[in-house]
Amino acid sequence: MILGWLRLLAISLVILTVVYVLVSIYSRSVRRERLEETFDAGGVAGDRDTYIAEGMKAYEQGLRKKLIWLVYVIPLVVMTATVWWVNWD
Amino acid sequence: MWRWIKWGFRIAVFALVAMFLHYTLPQRDVVQVINTYNRVQPIGANWMFYSSEDTGTGAETSTTRDIRFIDVVFPDGTTTMTYRNEDTGWFWPPYFKWDSSTLQAEATNYKTTETTPRWVAVTHYGWRMPIISIFPNAVKVVPVAGPDVRLFPWLNLVILTVLAFLVFMAWMMIRQFRERMIDPAVERVAQTMDAVDQRADAARGRFTRWLDTWRGKPRP
Repeated sequence: MILGWLRLLAISLVILTVVYVLVSIYSRSVRRERLEETFDAGGVAGDRDTYIAEGMKAYEQGLRKKLIWLVYVIPLVVMTATVWWVNWD
Repeated sequence: MWRWIKWGFRIAVFALVAMFLHYTLPQRDVVQVINTYNRVQPIGANWMFYSSEDTGTGAETSTTRDIRFIDVVFPDGTTTMTYRNEDTGWFWPPYFKWDSSTLQAEATNYKTTETTPRWVAVTHYGWRMPIISIFPNAVKVVPVAGPDVRLFPWLNLVILTVLAFLVFMAWMMIRQFRERMIDPAVERVAQTMDAVDQRADAARGRFTRWLDTWRGKPRP
């Protein structure tokens, strides 16, 4: 039985890691596209590549990227809450 | 013709998803418990509608199984329902239920007769289908005020909203991937092909012109 729960945890972590990677790629892609669009709309001084590189650097250190960790947090919290609600509430 | 096949396929997929959700999502019945008991239940081709064998309760086999049951009657006084009460195991459906003994004790505690009714809401999932001997699985029993209590399925609303959001996000991600990765790649390939084609045209032109010199035509 314990093995079953360990197996569930392992499989969940694998699936959530895949989701985390996909969401990271998506989020980065959306940010880069927006930077490109902002620059191409005009009004930004300097080199296009430099502007995008700096914007991406800001993204890598920003809050939005850290929020992707919620991909792990929310499902595990929901699972724990379900266990509590079904078995103890 | 193709239109019919396409729509038939879409409707079939939609119906499958809807049935799957209807089976898996929790529902609540306001009922009276009239009996709780164990019974050895044969399990054959309908194994899919029972708990998997490795749930850990200990008695799960693939041929017969000692299963707890809860009989109830609806407020109309005639419609009955039989729930099974099994642990759900470690994976699907994700109720993570392993308190079926406790649930059975609670249900027994709420057992009533017609003269002294006690009303409970039984949370359950699954279907009752006599023809293949399957029973919905009870998950929770809580007392309610009376037979006229209306319970709104908030949880299902939340779950369906989250599912719709996930589908929407997946669709957005696929769209973004196509727009940023596949379309530019296809464009690059198309440009390369065009260039190759043009060079080939040019080469063929030179070759034909060279051949023509052998036929006594002057070079243009």
